[in-house]
Amino acid sequence: MDIHILIYGTVNSVIFALIAVGFTLVYGVSRLPNFAHGALYVLVGFLTWSFIHDLKMNYPVAIILSLIISAFLGAIIYRLVLIRLRGMATSEIIASFAVSLIILEGLRMQGIGGFKGFIGPFYILPPFIEGKMRILGVLIDFQRLIIIGGGLAVVSLLWLFTHHTRIGLSLRGIAQDERAALMLGIDSDRAAVIALSIGSALAGLAAVIILPLGNVTAEAGYRVLIYALAVCIIGGLGSWAGTVLASFVLGFAMIVSTALFGAVWESVVLVGAIILILILRPSGLLGKQKELEERV
Amino acid sequence: MLEIKNLMVFYENAIAINNVNMRCKEGVITGVFGANSAGKSTLMYTISGIILDMKKKEKMRGGERITVLGSITYDGSDILNMKPSERAKKGIILCPERRRIFPESTTLENLKIGGYLATRAQAKKTMEYVFAIFPALRELKGREGGFLSGGEQQMLAIGRALMAQPKLLLLDEPLLGLSPKIEAILARTVKDINRETGITILITEQYARPILPIIDYAYVLENGGAVLEGTSQELMENPDVKSAYFGL
Repeated sequence: MDIHILIYGTVNSVIFALIAVGFTLVYGVSRLPNFAHGALYVLVGFLTWSFIHDLKMNYPVAIILSLIISAFLGAIIYRLVLIRLRGMATSEIIASFAVSLIILEGLRMQGIGGFKGFIGPFYILPPFIEGKMRILGVLIDFQRLIIIGGGLAVVSLLWLFTHHTRIGLSLRGIAQDERAALMLGIDSDRAAVIALSIGSALAGLAAVIILPLGNVTAEAGYRVLIYALAVCIIGGLGSWAGTVLASFVLGFAMIVSTALFGAVWESVVLVGAIILILILRPSGLLGKQKELEERV
Repeated sequence: MLEIKNLMVFYENAIAINNVNMRCKEGVITGVFGANSAGKSTLMYTISGIILDMKKKEKMRGGERITVLGSITYDGSDILNMKPSERAKKGIILCPERRRIFPESTTLENLKIGGYLATRAQAKKTMEYVFAIFPALRELKGREGGFLSGGEQQMLAIGRALMAQPKLLLLDEPLLGLSPKIEAILARTVKDINRETGITILITEQYARPILPIIDYAYVLENGGAVLEGTSQELMENPDVKSAYFGL
């Protein structure tokens, strides 16, 4: 039972991290809360499904194509919508949530141009590799192992990108002090487009890795958005380490509460954790933007 | 290299820069002196284009209306409405007041971020140069910017600006809050940079004394207007300036 909790808790934590990491990236770099994050996640799921079933593409090609589309959509959302609202936090939330509604409700719409709408539990992405194996006596399917590997890969690649590439370093510059970065020739609109593209592609990547565990539904978009928000609020908005830490706190809290009290308590734990953090440490576990003050 | 004509900057109805005319000759160090709120930083923000970003943000929030009038000519073309990133590409790099080091990045990363506009070869060469003129930074490569002392941060800020391959380097109060010893070292280094690389430098300061020996020509700002100008020799001999700005 303990090992069961350890393994499934880890899988669950990595799922949280995968979902939240794109959201954190966008917020960290551009202070933009991208409420369309969950919608892009679901959209990539449906796009991949359609490419496989309607266009008869093979699986990897379908995945890559949907991720590229997702990255482009992120850039378009910024260029067409968010660029007009920079700096007005409430408007950014409302506008990106509107984009989210358009995508998610659009996916459910029927009848236009023979579009049947993605309704019901019929949309399933196949796992990358079929089968299960035993680890320390616990049965686990390969897809869940791929999730762990994928999560590790995404986090380490992002770390490399933001510490050792020119573009990645410029994003961190903008994230820490936008005006100082402007003085060095880094363009904040360009940085935001890059951040949103990568963030949206990461939402899509999370989708294609995680969705084979269940079926693809439009409703999942809202749940994914809430997961991402919960992780970011608990970890500290825009903090990388905080995102990973909060993913593990939430991931394990949910698995433990499910094991002890039953699955109904899942959402109570999620919301309870947010409320607790907002009371005890409003800036999040590792929200440290204010701690390193300049020295005069 | 840089020519400013009839420049006026308003924050709402308050005038921050009042009809300023000035020029920076290529290859020399030009100084701008003035007390707090004389308009030094606004002048720097206007030359580097940051003021356009401030203007956009204020407009978004429905805050102060910022108005910029006049002309700024750089290398023969008018840059008054050019985006800050475009100006940086043309070689106008601002090293801001209070340094604005990236606090969570290490010294090395700060320099690398500064090298955003540089080619790989330029970045490598400039980084070696920065470590040569500020040997202290080499020892602090791995330390986070927020944990450096004021003097170290200022060296890093100048180094970071150099990484961006400036042709016109704007130094906004680089000696602010530093000890006289470090002031002297930095002033000498600024002169060295100018002599060794040929970069044109515009430097602002409240107190003229520490940088007077290194500048070629200077302007005195008061309440947003340029009230005096001259070579450092001429300014030093002016009795008003002596008492007000040089503390003599």
